[in-house]
Amino acid sequence: MGPEKGARLRGLALVLPALLLVAAFLLAPLALVIRYSLDVYDPASLMKGVFSAENYVKLVSDPFYLRVLVFTGEIAALSTAICLVLGYPVAYFISRSTSEKLRSFLIIITVLPLLMGNAVRAAAWMVIMGTKGLANAMMLGAGVIDEPLKILYTPTAVVIGLVSVLLPFTIITLQSVLDAIPGSLEEAGRSLGFSPLHTMFSVVMPLSVPGMLAAGAICFCLAMNAYATPVLIGGPSVHMMGPLVYQQISKVTNWPFGSALACVLMAVTLTMTVISTTILSRRYF
Amino acid sequence: MKRRQFIGAGLAVAGAGVLGARSAFAQGKEIVVSNWGGDWNDRTVKYIEQPLLESKGWKIVRDLNTAPQRRTKILAEKNLPRGTLDVAHVPISDAYLLNTNGAVDVIDFGKIPNGSDLVPAIKLPYFVPWLYSTWEIVYNPNYIKTPPTSLAELWNPKYKGKVGVTNQHYEDYMQMASLLATGKLHDLDAAKKKLLELKQVNQPKVYESHQQIAAGFKGEEIWIACNYRARGLQFAKDGVPVAVSFPKEGAALQTFGVVMPKRATHKAEAYEYFNALLDPKQLAELCQANFYSPASNKVQLTGDIGQKILHTPEQKAKLQSPDFGFLAANTAGMLEWWNKSFV
Repeated sequence: MGPEKGARLRGLALVLPALLLVAAFLLAPLALVIRYSLDVYDPASLMKGVFSAENYVKLVSDPFYLRVLVFTGEIAALSTAICLVLGYPVAYFISRSTSEKLRSFLIIITVLPLLMGNAVRAAAWMVIMGTKGLANAMMLGAGVIDEPLKILYTPTAVVIGLVSVLLPFTIITLQSVLDAIPGSLEEAGRSLGFSPLHTMFSVVMPLSVPGMLAAGAICFCLAMNAYATPVLIGGPSVHMMGPLVYQQISKVTNWPFGSALACVLMAVTLTMTVISTTILSRRYF
Repeated sequence: MKRRQFIGAGLAVAGAGVLGARSAFAQGKEIVVSNWGGDWNDRTVKYIEQPLLESKGWKIVRDLNTAPQRRTKILAEKNLPRGTLDVAHVPISDAYLLNTNGAVDVIDFGKIPNGSDLVPAIKLPYFVPWLYSTWEIVYNPNYIKTPPTSLAELWNPKYKGKVGVTNQHYEDYMQMASLLATGKLHDLDAAKKKLLELKQVNQPKVYESHQQIAAGFKGEEIWIACNYRARGLQFAKDGVPVAVSFPKEGAALQTFGVVMPKRATHKAEAYEYFNALLDPKQLAELCQANFYSPASNKVQLTGDIGQKILHTPEQKAKLQSPDFGFLAANTAGMLEWWNKSFV
């Protein structure tokens, strides 16, 4: 055994306990959820203890659940796109700030909303977007509208709420990637006669695609699985997957169907993230 | 100081700390209580837990969450050697479900002296009833001058766009619609038909919970809805422009109480807690604050508040108790229909 191989084995031996622990704590509950999803609901005993694809069949054959799944995907995709569009300029500005104080200040301001719980932020949005809320009061006061708009308890409200939750993640992820792109490359572009906009689109953005992919994947996963925002801001009529899983598990104790919904949500999120990341990676690398 | 002396001294200090903590626990009693949060828990603390238990050195650890979360937790813990909860506040239908799944203990009512005169209709072998109310009409008297006497008023087209519904009470609304259509609580087909008619005729506004429908009444978005009598009276006390009316069709009972999870670790203390909950004097004060009816006949409510809270003999004759077996078997289907077709 060479010294290099020995060192590698020693390293593996050191890491192995932690790896096993993480695998056990991550995979065991996941395995349990998958097992539950293959069981059948029984009001008297919760589960019958059988193996059946009944829950998955119900999920794919019922247009209601498919519609909720597609709708959740659409809301997540739209929120992700808005976060990237809004977050990129902010992340670029933070990254290119020469003043260390300004940079720290901007990062703290960006991260600040994350220090509050999702529910608290959602409650604040409810105050802003209500029929008699701040937004309507301002628009009515300015004469923009004659009657209060219904913003709260609509899909639009959910997107606004999700963007506010996800934007800090987008900005921080993009900023760390933009930091790694040397400013000299932009100077080189400009010295070749590129306008600042041209430099941005042909030099900076292509180099920051990995950051955009990472930020997009994080946003999309979080939005697909959102719970507090759809429940509080979307209200009872806006159905998304996260609240639906909660309803089945907790409200009606249908653990098998709730688990099947959770598994499908996880699989769809994972698949869409992998597909989009792979396609975009091939396009840009 | 040598290393061994240092370690020895450290162990001695740690040992003293542990012994001190143990003796501190021995002085008072400790219990973990799971309850709803908000004003429900505030009043439980103010009128029961603080004056009757904590003031005597009890340490009450509160696990505050919603009823479904509590139920899920108890079910998830039923196969563990030790659970995390000693007492859980639950609606009676949850108690039924938990018992069906073998997750709660049968109660020895002999150990609860204050529970010797409970309302028989709401007492179950595994459930200590505490408070109850009934599902009635709540309306804005500024707009609806004549108190509505029938549930059918919610279907009155003159209230189009002014009817409110709470999403979390889908079971109560389905029972109410069934009661109106058939005189019984559990005719699902009749209830669904009736609710679709309501949706078509009056386009009800759907709110998530009590607080939101109270805000809807306050902002005059809605004029009429159904809710527990106790909640309607609480809203009115809090300045929301509402009054409560008992429907001629009758009303479904909703009872809240406590259960002891099978895996509770402080069972003796749990019985003392149950007894404290039913203390006649403190329970009377609590009922005057939250407008629920007491489950113990030992509690005396008098005067104007007593009149508002308690049911008349005619009303008592029209109270209907849900079939918990039916609810347990059908709640998943009811919610599915509610999500797909009503909200």
